[in-house]
Amino acid sequence: MRTALAIARKELTISFTTPWVYVVLAAMAALSSFFFVGLLETFQQVQDLAREQGWERLPPDSVVYRNLTDGVVVQLWGVVLIITLFVAPFLSMRLFAEEKRNKTFELLMTAPVRPLDIVLGKYLGGLGVMGATLGLTLAFPLLLTAFNQGEEGQALEWTTVLLGYGGLLLWGATCMAVGMVLSALTESQMVAAFLTFAVLLPWMLLRGLTRTFEEPLRSVVSYLSFDTQLEGLLQGVVDVRALVFFASVIVFSLLLTHRAVEAQRWM
Amino acid sequence: MIEVRQLTRRYRDRVAIEDLSFSVREGEILGFLGPNGAGKSTTMKILTGFLPPSAGSVKVGGFDVVTQPMEVKRRIGYLPETPPLYPELTVHGYLKFVAQLKGLPGRGLQAEVERVAGLTGVGHVLARGLQHLSKGYKQRVGIAQALLGSPPVLILDEPTEGLDPTQRAEVRALIKSLAGRHTVILSTHILPEVTMTCEKVLILNQGKKVAYDDLRSLTAAHGHAEHTSLEEVFIKLTAA
Repeated sequence: MRTALAIARKELTISFTTPWVYVVLAAMAALSSFFFVGLLETFQQVQDLAREQGWERLPPDSVVYRNLTDGVVVQLWGVVLIITLFVAPFLSMRLFAEEKRNKTFELLMTAPVRPLDIVLGKYLGGLGVMGATLGLTLAFPLLLTAFNQGEEGQALEWTTVLLGYGGLLLWGATCMAVGMVLSALTESQMVAAFLTFAVLLPWMLLRGLTRTFEEPLRSVVSYLSFDTQLEGLLQGVVDVRALVFFASVIVFSLLLTHRAVEAQRWM
Repeated sequence: MIEVRQLTRRYRDRVAIEDLSFSVREGEILGFLGPNGAGKSTTMKILTGFLPPSAGSVKVGGFDVVTQPMEVKRRIGYLPETPPLYPELTVHGYLKFVAQLKGLPGRGLQAEVERVAGLTGVGHVLARGLQHLSKGYKQRVGIAQALLGSPPVLILDEPTEGLDPTQRAEVRALIKSLAGRHTVILSTHILPEVTMTCEKVLILNQGKKVAYDDLRSLTAAHGHAEHTSLEEVFIKLTAA
């Protein structure tokens, strides 16, 4: 475990000295702020409209705009989720591919380190970078709370916000795990990033495909879709089935990576 | 210390090493010679547990590379063909990381990093980033990394590659000073280097052992004693 931590630390040091991570951080900050402002505007408009006409006369789906938590933050988490899907491949691509290209993989594999420690260390390092990227978005609910000082009541239901954020972190961890497997299979970072994207996006959209399917296939495929599983989590609903689902994807990915690293010795 | 028996390695249909057997006694320095593509690096990769053998066995310090890889890896310091460096790290950060990989105890780790840096002459560039170092310095950091933790066996793939003549002499002196305490296998295609550092020579050609002997008996067997250089023997043996 000590070596795993050493590998994770090295991973973080290297990540934060390369421009890549900063590009991703900047992209996350820029895109999420852009959507945050958009969501706030919509929220404002609906609230104004409701003040004039009353909530009863607005379309039923505008009910989410009754409070900032559902109207802005939960919606924002939904946007960050999609941004994460797009940036995760760029964060996970270098995990193993770069070691192979750099020939440093030989160092890891000839040091007295178990493949399990290599995989765990790499994954922890990846989680650190992903955590930093997602950490930026916590600024938005904090901003909302800060500007609400003085008015009566809490601006946000922090339990819902944080549970939704937990769902987001779990999603980030899943993206990193899937990306790591693919990075362990190739020497090229571009190929790793592209493959990760090619796996994550269709998996996310799986539910959309099921419209033409017959039951019971339809339920099964729709259940396997990331989209279905994330829906409740982001709204702060603790659904054990969804937690188990994502935990399984992560564990399975780690096992596959472990296999890929071990197989390196047998090629 | 090192026992190699009937080692064979195939890459798909190409045979990289065929039926190679040799042994190295404790404290000995063995020179690996051979033209490019003779199988020197492949043999070293198998000895260090990076590549599995297709057939045959390798034992280091009595442990089998295939069945007890951790025990073997703990006893070997390895400098691969390309020094395995992370360009983004500093020399100090890198050596510290490798020391942790090797599981050296936290206390004394700093002293150990300074010791190997001193031995390889990189003490004054510890704070520099690896990507800003010259090829010679990179090579020396690669050697320093192998020396961390004083492993009983050192496997050095072309350790003097990319060094200028002065540095080369320094590295040769360093390797010579390791004899007795460490068992060393080094590969090179610079022939005088072998004459100057090694006691025993193994010449590989197209994956096969063509000579394996003391340096002196080798030159004696292939000509009129003192007048024959290793170079002549080498060319004669690998001409086939």
